[in-house]
Amino acid sequence: MHPLLLTFMIIGLPAAVALLYVFVRGTTTMRRYILTRITLTIPMVLILASLVFFVLRIIPGDPVTSSLGPKGSPEVKELLRQNLGLDDPLLVQYGRFIGDILTFDFGDSLIGAQRPIADELGERLPATLELVLPATILALAIGVVFGTWAAVRRKRAADYGLRLYSVVIYSMPIFWLGLLLQLLFGVWLEWTPIAGRIDAVIASDLERTTNFLTIDAVLHGNWEALSSALHHLVLPTLTLGLVLSGVFLRLTRINVIETLEEDYVAAARARGIRERVVTYSYALKNAMIPVITLIGLQVAILLAGAVLTETVFSWPGMGRYLVDRISSRDFTAVQSTITMFALFVALISLAVDIVYSLLDPRVRY
Amino acid sequence: MAVDLETREAGWQQDLERAGLLRRLLRARKWHGADWWFVAIASVMVVAFIVLALFPGFFAPHDPREQVGPRFLAPGEKPDVESLIIPGDSGITSLLDIVGDERVPTAVVEGTPSSQAARDEADRITQVLQDRGEDVRLRLRVQRHDTIQEALDELVAGDAVIAVASSAAFDEVADDYPSLDVAGPVFEGQTLSSFLLGTNQIGQDVLSRLIWGTRIALIIGFSASFFSLFIGVPLGLFAGFTGGKTDRVLTVFMDSLYAFPGLILAIAITAVLGPSIINVIVAIAVLYIPTYYRIVRGQTLSVKESLFVEAARSLGAKSRVVLTRYVFPNVIPSVAIIFSVNIADAILTGAGLSFLGLGLPPTTPDWGIDLARGQETIQRASWLITFPGVAVMLVVLAFTMMGEGLMEIFNPKLRDR
Repeated sequence: MHPLLLTFMIIGLPAAVALLYVFVRGTTTMRRYILTRITLTIPMVLILASLVFFVLRIIPGDPVTSSLGPKGSPEVKELLRQNLGLDDPLLVQYGRFIGDILTFDFGDSLIGAQRPIADELGERLPATLELVLPATILALAIGVVFGTWAAVRRKRAADYGLRLYSVVIYSMPIFWLGLLLQLLFGVWLEWTPIAGRIDAVIASDLERTTNFLTIDAVLHGNWEALSSALHHLVLPTLTLGLVLSGVFLRLTRINVIETLEEDYVAAARARGIRERVVTYSYALKNAMIPVITLIGLQVAILLAGAVLTETVFSWPGMGRYLVDRISSRDFTAVQSTITMFALFVALISLAVDIVYSLLDPRVRY
Repeated sequence: MAVDLETREAGWQQDLERAGLLRRLLRARKWHGADWWFVAIASVMVVAFIVLALFPGFFAPHDPREQVGPRFLAPGEKPDVESLIIPGDSGITSLLDIVGDERVPTAVVEGTPSSQAARDEADRITQVLQDRGEDVRLRLRVQRHDTIQEALDELVAGDAVIAVASSAAFDEVADDYPSLDVAGPVFEGQTLSSFLLGTNQIGQDVLSRLIWGTRIALIIGFSASFFSLFIGVPLGLFAGFTGGKTDRVLTVFMDSLYAFPGLILAIAITAVLGPSIINVIVAIAVLYIPTYYRIVRGQTLSVKESLFVEAARSLGAKSRVVLTRYVFPNVIPSVAIIFSVNIADAILTGAGLSFLGLGLPPTTPDWGIDLARGQETIQRASWLITFPGVAVMLVVLAFTMMGEGLMEIFNPKLRDR
């Protein structure tokens, strides 16, 4: 099976099963909402993909000249141009580009071994996901725990301290935080490796099935590889997770504060229910609903952060691939990678919106 | 805005409505203790950074693009250069002062580069003098010693006129020779003084680059934010005010752009446009248009429904007048707040772009570029990555804190946009 498809299945299968369950068991309004929401995703992906296509095409700069360099003879250039279909009218090229997206065939890379880009992405996407998922979980954990704490101790020292933390961490360039962690834990303390996904020697023994190194290591019982992969994950995850945690902390704090002022919370207090129970099982539960929607909007910060984190830690994911290919002027690869990012963003926001509609029955289109 | 106020604390809020923009800010000190101080401190920082960015040449001790010292000099560390040591009362300030017919007795330590350095510089000076047509030359009579103490003793005894030794070696024994002084470095153009934040891998002054970097960061931040404001605000006003199909199409487009990771789009745009500061500004500006659009559209929608707009309409005000005289002024406060936060975001994105090696020409004194270079030598020179990072963080922090604080004071409902 193609690695890219496999990745999508690993991530998408649980979501699809859940969606199917909701669809079959849910009410008619819910079904209609889900369908509307899915239909809305399509224009979003199309708009972003088209934007990328036209930005890369219309702005001056010739992909052929820039990828071959000044040395390429006119004949070679012409040949490449024909092979890539760059002589066709813009609209024909656009149609082909959209068709490529729909069939998940992104064409071949312009440089190097000219591998199919789908193969490259199949290796890179799992690397990015392996970094992004634990980072989000870490960020959510920090954000929810301390955000609630700040809300409970509103306008006291802990609250101001935590708010300051969230502003400071938000103001930090993520790559700088990465560099500092590298310096502290990698260079001075020598606790963790500072670059790459896994030790090269160990990696050569590891059989690849899913390209998620931790999953592969578990599948094949290669515990040495698992330990190496986890060690390499520590710093990048910490970097990305800490930067995101500030945003989640703020969101949780504001929402818990607002929920704590609701009448039903006052009623619970009046019944003599302990404050801890009121906070965590009455207020927090409802406060989390808007936080979940906002996770969707944080995907942009998450992915931008991932690009920078991957560059700092030489993490062979999609972001670093994008930056590499931009410096080597491989426009097919750049275009496809950005489209993948767009797809990723659209799917996450779709998932978030559906989860939100399940949690909060008031929301309907 | 009256709509947003809670009835519970009506007393001070009625005061608030009567107060002007500035008085509102000053009064806020009572009810928004820490937020008010956030704004105050942040404003001072912002002003300081703007002053730095306007007059970097005045504050920076050196030219940010010139090599002004040895490479990899740690902050505060004195450079170890061959220096000219003289008796304190001799009045010699450089090798030029001892040009003459006779060979000058010069004390050096055997086995150090001092004698070579002294002779090289003497030859250079002679050459310069002869090029000028003066018939004088500088000749040294080098007297070698085993230790620096012997060399200096000779100088004290008056058997040598000058001594040449590395500044570090002289510093170690300087206390024993109170009558001797360092006149300066042997080579013209070298410096004996330390650099407050050290030097980088090509001998540029880190502090000067930081100060000039403020200018780049603020140019990017302000221009990009203005650019997106000028496009986003009218679009948002228009879409919110007219509604209908245009509004729906624009909103879908803007929402898609908003959801997409800005940095990635900026990477694509700058990659195609090529490195220049204008291109960076354009790329970043495009990203933040939706931010203004969304806020302004939302505000317009709610203001449009308010009573005073209805009153104006029923008095026969034209659409254009309603839009410019009634709706627009009510949108301004939120735009100002977004603008401040937006500058911070733009600076962060700009730093990210140049860290990735995109956008700015590599010779620019820019924080992102310095950080990217610093990463290559992270094991050797940690100060090269700490200071530019602190600079980015402080500037971004100042603008964010100002925006956040203002938001909390002026428009508490807006904070969870």
